[in-house]
Amino acid sequence: MFACIFIPDFPVAAIVRAEPLLREHAVAVLDGKPPQVRVFALNDKGRLLGMEIGMTKLQASIFAAAKPERAPATKTVAKKKPAQIEFGARHTKTQPPPANAIFRQRSPVQEDSAHAALLDVAHAFTPRVEDTHPDRLLLDLGGLERLYGPATAMARQLASRVSSVGLDCNIGTAANPDAAMHAACGFSGVTVIPVGEEARRLGVLPITVLLDSFDLAHGSEAETSASVREHGKLREQMLDTLERWGVRDFRTLALLPEHALASRLGAAGTRLQQLSRGAGMRTLALCEPQMHFGEAIELESAVETLEPLSFLLNRLLDQLCARLEARALAVQKLTLRLQLEPRVADEQTTTLQELAAARDTTGSNGDLYTRTLRLPVAMRDPKIFLKLLQLDLAAHPPGAPVCKLWLAAEPAHPRSAQRGLFLPITPEAEKLEITLARINGVVGERRAGIAEVLDTYRPDAFHMERFVSQQEDRTPGGDLTLSDTSSAPPVALRIFRPARRIRVQLIKGRPCKVTALDQHADRNELQGKILWSAGPWRSSGDWWAERSAPFKTNPEEAHVWDREEWDIALAADNGGGVALYRIYYETGTGHWFADASYD
Amino acid sequence: MPSPAALRAHVESALGERLSSTLLLREKIAPLTVSTGVAGLDALTGGLPRGALSEITGPASSGRTGVMLAALAGATRRDEACALVDASDNFDPASAAAAGVDLDRLLWVRCGESDRASPSNAQQRTALGRLEQVLKVTDLLLQGGGFGMVVLDLGDIPPGSVRRVPLTSWFRFRRAVEPTTTILLIVEREPCAKTCASLVVRLQRTAVCARDAASPSETEFHGWRVLSRTEPAIPHANAVSHAALLHGMQLRAEVVLSWMQRKPVQSVGTDFELRAGW
Repeated sequence: MFACIFIPDFPVAAIVRAEPLLREHAVAVLDGKPPQVRVFALNDKGRLLGMEIGMTKLQASIFAAAKPERAPATKTVAKKKPAQIEFGARHTKTQPPPANAIFRQRSPVQEDSAHAALLDVAHAFTPRVEDTHPDRLLLDLGGLERLYGPATAMARQLASRVSSVGLDCNIGTAANPDAAMHAACGFSGVTVIPVGEEARRLGVLPITVLLDSFDLAHGSEAETSASVREHGKLREQMLDTLERWGVRDFRTLALLPEHALASRLGAAGTRLQQLSRGAGMRTLALCEPQMHFGEAIELESAVETLEPLSFLLNRLLDQLCARLEARALAVQKLTLRLQLEPRVADEQTTTLQELAAARDTTGSNGDLYTRTLRLPVAMRDPKIFLKLLQLDLAAHPPGAPVCKLWLAAEPAHPRSAQRGLFLPITPEAEKLEITLARINGVVGERRAGIAEVLDTYRPDAFHMERFVSQQEDRTPGGDLTLSDTSSAPPVALRIFRPARRIRVQLIKGRPCKVTALDQHADRNELQGKILWSAGPWRSSGDWWAERSAPFKTNPEEAHVWDREEWDIALAADNGGGVALYRIYYETGTGHWFADASYD
Repeated sequence: MPSPAALRAHVESALGERLSSTLLLREKIAPLTVSTGVAGLDALTGGLPRGALSEITGPASSGRTGVMLAALAGATRRDEACALVDASDNFDPASAAAAGVDLDRLLWVRCGESDRASPSNAQQRTALGRLEQVLKVTDLLLQGGGFGMVVLDLGDIPPGSVRRVPLTSWFRFRRAVEPTTTILLIVEREPCAKTCASLVVRLQRTAVCARDAASPSETEFHGWRVLSRTEPAIPHANAVSHAALLHGMQLRAEVVLSWMQRKPVQSVGTDFELRAGW
């Protein structure tokens, strides 16, 4: 058993997938360079208005605002038979025509995304998929009855999955791939053709369906524009010949005498007749499933603020996560690329400077602005991704209106670990990511995370790492009871960042009085009489480094240090009592600093 | 004139059917407690209550940070995720590692970045800016949930600024942790959460143990003592402080307010010692 997924008016469907509100409107997709912009594709409502493929934009716009007064254009879709199974809310001719039409430029990027989504759905259903054309896929359903049930149930489930990625499709199933394809292209909704019924069921289809499929099935894969024109010419000749013979549907062609047809049309005629009878088996040219997950959207007018951008991101994320769900995958890394509108040079100098600074720091390339979310655990919740992207873009605005968006996901296998009931609580990974993003928005980038102590004697040497919720199993013996405590907890240091400049008076080489020099909040606490002191403890390091950095007060940035440390008990002048501090004399500069207090 | 008991019985009999729960005395359930990491403090307080707000107060160099690290070490040893909201960016990771804190389980939030960019800010304005960050971050952490212990280190924020934090903020925090097992611990100079706190402990330093070649014997001045030690000054290989001169501190802890006894009749205290981790 074979199935074919066919997306009618694929260029329109790709655009409607990104803009679902267009479903209720007549949509015409334009292609070509001005002034040769012509209608490339239409939806049913567009045809009802009288527009046709190949019209110029001006001609189409005349129909776009007018009510139709004549019968709609000829359609390839045949009348529905009672035996056919309808699926979904497809637009039929009985619906009232829309008042006006919407024009959209053809978007190859969105067509690629839609086709990739279609492939994901197909590969999630069966590994045997033939990718014949952007708007149709052939699937081998052999052996899947035990998984999905009979052919009708399989076709319905397939249609449901395609619908979940935002595409309306026709599904045709038959005993051979070509019959399934003709059924999908010719009938709307879900069509299941039982074995042996192919000729009867396909007989009502117009001959154009057969010629379209015939050209596609036998055309070379790398079609050039010349070969396409050649195919089109041959098709027109064949159609003209068959119409002159009075052959307008499958049934008529199937009834013609084989030898007479072969003598007049050659091997092509024999093949066409075989296909019109729904006969002939061939092997599918299988394609490999792609592991690239990306979605894109092109905007008619640029977006300047975060709120409308969030709506677009939401739509892209929904589509992306639906595709990932179809393949039972999650996201480990999410990359957002924004194409920015070029700014006018004299618009705002400061903004351009900010933009340049942002480009330096965030990896923006030319008019492209890239942000990357690296997730500690694989996730697949579009709401969480949207919140993370919103927070990230709020902290790092693009700096110019956005006219195109790409969203790419690096797939990963979802988490499968199940936690025990009696394990200690840990933050949920998804919630934690949002919490950390919000905290970063409050305190700044790289100001929240895990401190990793560096392997050096340099004072206050550490760097910040990303905080990840530890969810491994509890180690035995790790419990701490009231009796399992230390009788003498440790003395801790409280580091001053940066170290505070002080002036120290010495008597017999020992510090006796401290005066604060910095305009710091704790200035008054850091000046007074030294009651007790111990030291000095001489410490130095990194002086052997090839590139000795100049002295910096920030210990995180300092590389070379050479100092004499003292522990002192200081009676503050402000009456705050006695406190213990660590002060040091920087031998390179001859300055005194207080860099920590004991607590 | 009926007695209060008779009056209550009358009211209960009249309204008890409709308002059964309002007049009943709710039995206060003792919260689960965990160790503070200090045996003396555990004996004094019964441990830190879960789902409650606790305060450790004291002046500078009174051992607040040491007790905080001991509590964090205990929590991370129980495999709990912890968060430290550091108002003044004073946290020393090396001290924490020496105290046994599993740094991989500790989310350190460093507030006060904006202060460094504008050091000329007035003291009050600067402190309030940090406090705003602390309150926002704490809100986010408690809303996110999943942390076994959330510590607010306000040790270097002037008490006057901390007192300006509205009581509603502390009440909100208390309500946020009540239905959870999270311990909300505030380290500060003076108590600020008032009735929202379930446990308030005040620490005071009584003596300092140090190696001091200049004064080999015990020295006492200004009400506290320096207990000199004569061990050779050879630092441990993983020394936190290269000075390695301070051995430890002797402290006295006093319960100001406890979930077990809201108003202690008399001062209840204990003495213990902090030892240098080097």
